[in-house]
Amino acid sequence: MIEIKNVSLWYGTDHRALEDISETISSGQTVLICGPSGSGKSSLLRCINGLEHFQQGEVIVDGVSVQAPDTDIHKLRSDVGMVFQHFELYPHMTAMENITLAPVQVRKKPENEARDKAIEILERVGIPEKAFKYPGELSGGQKQRVAIARALAMEPKIMLFDEPTSALDPEMIKEVLDVMIDLAKAGMTMVVVSHEMGFAREVAHEIIFMDKGRILEKGTSHEFFAHPKNERTRLFLSRILI
Amino acid sequence: MDLAVITRNFEFMLGGLALTIQLALITLAGGLLLGILLAMARLSPRSWLYYPASVYVHFFRGLPLILVIFWIYFLSPVITGRSLDEFLAAIISFIAFESAYFAEIIRAGIQSIPRGQAMAAHSSGLTSFQCMRFVILPQAMRNMIPALVTQAVVIFQDTSLGYVIGLREFLRRVNLVDAREARSVELYLFAGLVYFVFCSIGSLCSQRLENRQERDSL
Repeated sequence: MIEIKNVSLWYGTDHRALEDISETISSGQTVLICGPSGSGKSSLLRCINGLEHFQQGEVIVDGVSVQAPDTDIHKLRSDVGMVFQHFELYPHMTAMENITLAPVQVRKKPENEARDKAIEILERVGIPEKAFKYPGELSGGQKQRVAIARALAMEPKIMLFDEPTSALDPEMIKEVLDVMIDLAKAGMTMVVVSHEMGFAREVAHEIIFMDKGRILEKGTSHEFFAHPKNERTRLFLSRILI
Repeated sequence: MDLAVITRNFEFMLGGLALTIQLALITLAGGLLLGILLAMARLSPRSWLYYPASVYVHFFRGLPLILVIFWIYFLSPVITGRSLDEFLAAIISFIAFESAYFAEIIRAGIQSIPRGQAMAAHSSGLTSFQCMRFVILPQAMRNMIPALVTQAVVIFQDTSLGYVIGLREFLRRVNLVDAREARSVELYLFAGLVYFVFCSIGSLCSQRLENRQERDSL
C-alpha cells in the first residue's frame, strides 16, 4: 500500500531531516513511528501525502508515485486522511462544515449526502451531538475526534496521524485512542507518529524507532518492547516507559 | 461668520461630495481586487510572480500620491498620444497607488493564519485555490477588517488630491465657491467638518468590528 524507497530530505543545504529511509507498509497494517523530537518522524509522515518535498528516493502510495510529475497530487491526497497534533480544525466553520468541506468540494458529493455521512461518522467517533458546534466550543478530545471524522469523511484508504494525542490533557487521550484502536481493528491502513506505547502494544503490527533522520530499529511490538536490539532504542524506551 | 455662504452653495458643494464618494468607492473596489492579486503574487513561490509584485508594491509605497497623479495625467498623453480624461486619470492613479497598500494589509492577514490550516486543507485534497477560498481568506479577512477600514478612510481623504488635475470633487468645489465668495474661514471649516464626519463613521465601524472580533475570539 505504501512503499518508501531510499528517501532523503534536506531542509536548506546542510540540515538533513531524513536519511535514506526505506519502509513498506501493506494494506490493513498499523505502523507506529516513535523517536525523540527532531528525529524526522513527522517529516516522513508528510512525505507520504506530498506535504513535504524530498530530494532523493521515491514514495509510492497505492501504486502512484507521490512526486512523479504526472501525478495528480490532489487526487492522491484525497485518498489519504491526515490528523494533526494541534487538530487544525477550521475555526470559522462548525464541526459539520469542517467535515463536509472536502467531500463536497473535492469529491463533488451532493451537500445533503455529505451531511448524512458526516452525522454517521460523528456517531462512530461518539459525538453526534456536537455537529453544529464550532471548534472553539469543543474540548481537546472532542476537537481531535472531529478532526478524525473530517479525515474519515473522504473514505480514505490510508490514515496518517501526526502525534494525535500529544496536545491533549491526559483524561482526554483515551477517547481519541479508542477511536484509533477501533479504526485499526476495522482494517484501516494507518501510519501513526506517537509515543502511546499502550496503543502500540494493542494494535501496531510494526513499530519503527527513528533518531536523527534514520530508522534505527523496527519490529513487531512484541520484539520491540521485549528485546530492543539497539542501544539508543533501549535508552529511549527506558525514558518513556518509566 | 457668515454661515449663509454654506447654505447658498450647499447643493453645488454636495455635488462634489457625490463625486468624492464615487471616486472613493471605485478606488476601494479596484484597489482591493488588485491588492488581493498582488498579495497572492507576493506570497507565491514562483519568482516570476513574486518579484514583479514586490517591486510594484515597494515602488508605489515609496512615492507620494500626488506624484503618481501627475505622472499618470501628464505622462500618459506623451506615451499614448492622447490626453486622459481627468476622472479616469484620477481613478487609475488611486487604484495603482492604494492597491500597493491593500496588498500589504492582505499579505499580512493571510500570513497571520497558522501554516497548519493550509496543511490540513491540502491534506484533504483541496487545491491551493480552494484552500485560499474556503479556509485561509475567510479567517484572514476577519483579521484584516480593521486595517482595511482604516485604509478606506484614508482613501476617502486622499481623493481630495484629485483637485490637482482639475477634478471637481468636494474640496475643489469648496475652493471654487471660496474664489467667488471670499469666505475662506467658514467654507474650509465646513469642508473639514464634512471630512471629519465621514472619517469618524469609518473609524467607528472599524472599532465596532474590532470589539466584535474580541468577543468572538473569547
